[in-house]
Amino acid sequence: MDVVAVDISGRHSVGGKYIMVSASVLAKISPEGIERTRRIRLVPLVAESVEMEVVIKLIEDSVRGLPGVVLAEKGDLYNLERWRVESILGREFKYPESLGERRAIELAHHASFAGRKLVLRLMEEGLGVGELKTTTGGA
Amino acid sequence: MKEEKTAVLLFREDPRDEPHPEKMAELRGLAESAGYKVLAEIVQRRGRDRRFQLGRGKVAEAASLSPEKLIFQNPLSPGQMFNITKEFEVQAIDRFNLILEIFASRASSREAKLQVELARLSYEAPFVRTIESLKKLSERPGYRGSGSYDVSMYRDIKGRMAKIRAELKAVEETGERRRERRRELGFDLVALAGYTNAGKSTLFNRLAEERVSAKDQPFTTLSPTTRAVAAKERKFLLTDTVGFIDDLPLFLIKAFRSTLAEIVEADLVLLVVDLSDPPDVLRDKLASCHQTLWDCGCYAPIVSVLNKVDRIGPEDAKERSELIRDLAPSPVLISAQEGRGLDGLIDLIAEKLPTMEEFKVLLPSSEEGMGQLSRLYEVAEPIEVTYGEEIEVLLKGRREIVARALKGAERPDQLPLAEG
Repeated sequence: MDVVAVDISGRHSVGGKYIMVSASVLAKISPEGIERTRRIRLVPLVAESVEMEVVIKLIEDSVRGLPGVVLAEKGDLYNLERWRVESILGREFKYPESLGERRAIELAHHASFAGRKLVLRLMEEGLGVGELKTTTGGA
Repeated sequence: MKEEKTAVLLFREDPRDEPHPEKMAELRGLAESAGYKVLAEIVQRRGRDRRFQLGRGKVAEAASLSPEKLIFQNPLSPGQMFNITKEFEVQAIDRFNLILEIFASRASSREAKLQVELARLSYEAPFVRTIESLKKLSERPGYRGSGSYDVSMYRDIKGRMAKIRAELKAVEETGERRRERRRELGFDLVALAGYTNAGKSTLFNRLAEERVSAKDQPFTTLSPTTRAVAAKERKFLLTDTVGFIDDLPLFLIKAFRSTLAEIVEADLVLLVVDLSDPPDVLRDKLASCHQTLWDCGCYAPIVSVLNKVDRIGPEDAKERSELIRDLAPSPVLISAQEGRGLDGLIDLIAEKLPTMEEFKVLLPSSEEGMGQLSRLYEVAEPIEVTYGEEIEVLLKGRREIVARALKGAERPDQLPLAEG
């Protein structure tokens, strides 16, 4: 089964801003693990808040064009019911159940965490917040 | 004559969720398993009541039946427990407490008793703190007042928990050494895991030709039992373990860590599933098993044993296995009760266990060489032995185990294993 596991790092305020990185992992999974990682995409965003619309928009940008069922942790989507998330995203979505799905999300978590560390380092080295805001393409 | 324990079961369903009648059925099973006679089942669809969990009227209705206990499916906060007991003069417990009661009544080994006590203390520690402080709200104890009592009781609990953890750590280390020794002896480790009452012990009895207690009730097995099984040229150690249950609190998983280590450290996990459950319950239970396996950090390959096919028709069995395809790795249909499908299961176990390779080993024709040959006989299957200037052994076994058996040999240049 092809899934797109999403995880967002940085949903906490740093100097009044939220420096977030969303990682989407397109992977082929079995019930017990990841069989193949096809693509990993990182999308950074600096936002003023972490309201639902902001998070959903970030997830939408992050999974756009990647085929498969979207997977995310319940907490990342404010514990919304599955059908509600599906209707907002307009595509198939589920919360993780199997070990394979959980491992895909774990991989996305590592990727988003590492991505955010990279963003913070780049910011320290002089890349401005303004430049990051416009950086919404896949990597 | 011992008086029968009585209870009324209460369940508050969230109005936003689908109805879950199976949750009440599971609670009834647990209550009966703990020895309670269920007087009534009360379900209410509403938001959480801050004081009583369900509405006051429903709790009063339950208390009017004069049961020994009110058993709630939903977790109760210390404050809610205190309020219900005070207002209706009946003891209120929740599902976790009920599970702990069952565990406490079944624990027979020292390890199981310690695990149950640790789980109970982890659960009770915050309750003791809250309830004692609630009781003393009006007293306002001063310096050296009666308020010191609750602090020392809480401290006592924490101290006892630390002691049990240390003892369990020693048990865990012993288990680790035992498993290591079993591996050195050439055994593969296979663990049975699955939802409670899925038929793990019945399957264990079938495969190991044993007679451990297997009943149609939750949590018959608490302590792991291990037996050797020889099948299709493979010998492995099969371990029966405690069953999983939905919404198992993390402290309970942590308390049973030394038992669950049997699953985590296994070379193969047989995930037993009760296929006769209704389809939606089946999926929920299986997802809950995956959650528990994830929580205890299991990375071993899994074979899904879809049990109790004798209770449903072949069409249903096919339909249900299709429904859980994304949750059931390497599925195999069996009936442990009737012994159906066991050959297929054993074939799959042999296929999934770490592969046995063929090696040709040259040993010196000396006393030490004979010693090594004897060790090889213990851990692998010698196919042919030729005695000459050197002893030439053709054998089948697991690479790392054969290498370990030959460790410290006299002529290391001869030892790198040549695959046959």
